[in-house]
Amino acid sequence: MAGTGKRTSFFLLTLLLILAAFGATGAFAAGGISVYTPLTNISVTPGESINYSVDVINNTSEIQNVALAVTGLPDKWEAKLTSDGWSVSSVSVKPNSSYNLSLQVDVPLQVDKGAYHFQLNAGGKGVLPLTVNVSEQGTYKTELTSEQPNMEGHANSTFNYQVTLRNRTAQKQLYALTAGAPQGWDVQFKTDGKSVTSVNVDAGAAKDIDVEVHPPEKVKSGTYKIPLKAATNSSSAETGLEVVITGSYSLELSTPSGVLSTDVTAGGKRTLQLKVTNTGSADLRNLDLTANTPVNWEVTFEPKKIPQLAAGQSEEVTATIKADDKAIAGDYVVGMTAGAPEATADAQFRVTVKTSLLWGWLGVLIVAAVIGGVYYLFRTYGRR
Amino acid sequence: MITRWFKGSSSQKAGHPFWVIVQKEIADHVHSWRFIILVLLLALTCIGSLYTAMMTIREAVPKDDSVNSFLFLKLFTVSSDKLPLPPFITFVSFLGPLVGIGMGFDAINSERNRGTLSRLLAQPIYRDYVINAKFVAALLLISVLLFALGFLVMGLGLIAIGIPPTPEEFGRMLCFLILSVLYISFWLNMSILCSVRFRQAATSALSGIAVWIFFSVFYGLLVNLIAGATAPSQAAGAESVISHQQFVQALSRLSPSQLFSEATVTMLTPSVRSLGPLTMEQIYGAIPSPLPFGQSLLLVWPQVVGLIAATMVCFAASYVLFMRQEIRSR
Repeated sequence: MAGTGKRTSFFLLTLLLILAAFGATGAFAAGGISVYTPLTNISVTPGESINYSVDVINNTSEIQNVALAVTGLPDKWEAKLTSDGWSVSSVSVKPNSSYNLSLQVDVPLQVDKGAYHFQLNAGGKGVLPLTVNVSEQGTYKTELTSEQPNMEGHANSTFNYQVTLRNRTAQKQLYALTAGAPQGWDVQFKTDGKSVTSVNVDAGAAKDIDVEVHPPEKVKSGTYKIPLKAATNSSSAETGLEVVITGSYSLELSTPSGVLSTDVTAGGKRTLQLKVTNTGSADLRNLDLTANTPVNWEVTFEPKKIPQLAAGQSEEVTATIKADDKAIAGDYVVGMTAGAPEATADAQFRVTVKTSLLWGWLGVLIVAAVIGGVYYLFRTYGRR
Repeated sequence: MITRWFKGSSSQKAGHPFWVIVQKEIADHVHSWRFIILVLLLALTCIGSLYTAMMTIREAVPKDDSVNSFLFLKLFTVSSDKLPLPPFITFVSFLGPLVGIGMGFDAINSERNRGTLSRLLAQPIYRDYVINAKFVAALLLISVLLFALGFLVMGLGLIAIGIPPTPEEFGRMLCFLILSVLYISFWLNMSILCSVRFRQAATSALSGIAVWIFFSVFYGLLVNLIAGATAPSQAAGAESVISHQQFVQALSRLSPSQLFSEATVTMLTPSVRSLGPLTMEQIYGAIPSPLPFGQSLLLVWPQVVGLIAATMVCFAASYVLFMRQEIRSR
């Protein structure tokens, strides 16, 4: 008898399972009430809501009052029965008729991947087992990601990154955006073309944020990491951007005093102190000094070449300008250029040529001789 | 006014015979019709050239930078296409010799003809006081006249254009006036020389004017003639062209009026950087900027020396001639 009972119960269980698997009416005919929904096994992602359309079927010839309850619901899951916009907990069904109502099940965000089972109980008169497959690991957090976190450029360029802020929490969040850039770096967050310091992101939504990075002027070449953070009081997300600076090449040629004019006597020489400054952020090698002079002028540099000039450093060079002895009085332009393969700098010097005083003194001598002659005449003829 | 000033200065000198003669000479000049005519001529000239400058100075203002344009100097140099009047420097270079000749052509021979020379020399004075005093008196008058005219132009120009001259411009104008005095004194000495040499005042005046006309009209023609005759052929190189050019220029510089015009143009136009022919090598890399005052002066220093030397040589010649002359009473 016990074996028969066991067998019977086994048979019944198998039947039940088969019925559940086929998704047919998981209805218990007991009491003539059955609960029906076509979709008994649904796959969802975390945070989604499932809407079941449930039919309560009365197979008897009397009006049946059915109390409905969801049982076996996992923790933090929520279920709600509604009909015609009302929240309901029991329904009355006419004889040989059915009543349609909807069951909404909210899957929480923080949920493990897997299959979850629960039932809709029709007050002991019938039961509807339901299965929900959560297709991925649910999270309850914020994500900040960038598709291209690494960029390269020279010191004067602007780096434009795009990061995506994804709110995977249940509420709308206001995120404060901060960047932990080194001193002198300028990092700006922009959404829809406007500079922002915080953004609102709806629950489950994502927002694209443009990040504009301006390196400092004197930045040295190298790789720089800029950590970004989007934080609220409850959750935060971080990501890192990488900026590769190739260094800038820039050169300046001037004098220590900044004066770019001098004078020289025609045919004479004049020495000038020049100052070559590497204003870039990378070292320069093999600097050449050349001059563009008027015809028959000579400019010599000491030293002629600078083998290496570190970034930010300057070196003094002595230039000797030798003017043509036929140069006319007045101003001439002498151009000087300091150049490395990467960068050049030039300075235009205004050189005022002065006439040699030699001929002037000769003229004075002639006048003196003439005056002497007249004086001699005075002496010879005047006073006798 | 002028005589009063000189009287004052001569009384301070306690009647040194030389200054007494100078004072007398100045008084003679100032009271003579000839001097009044010359002054009127120059004053009209000055007003005419100032009028030209006033009418055209607006066009002479450069559009880019008026700071460095030496606008005030343009009062003396600007000329107009519409008005038939030349600028002030042209007037001075043209009429200056006339003033010099006019004031000196009868310096000695009129005294001689009137018989006053021997009477004068009967006084206890050195003989050369006579010729020196005549020269100094005329020179002083010419200086006063020219400076008065120059400052008149400056003052009227200042009222009219309202821009004060910079110290450099003022220095250049003073230099120009001194150069003009020097130039006129050359012609003065030349005419004194004539007055010593020729007994008749008319001959002396005519010969002075002849020299003046020769230098201002015919000398240029003569130089052109020589230049044309000695010009190198078309195929000649740059070297020979330049040397010929320099030869022609040296020839034309024998004329005092050429020296004077080169010197004054350079003094009053600071952008003039060279007076000779320029090669491309000299121009390449040069900035068209005005020369500083000292450099302009140095540029025309040979011309100035030439003028001074010519003046002094003329004076020395008339001095020697006068000292060796026999002076008899009639």
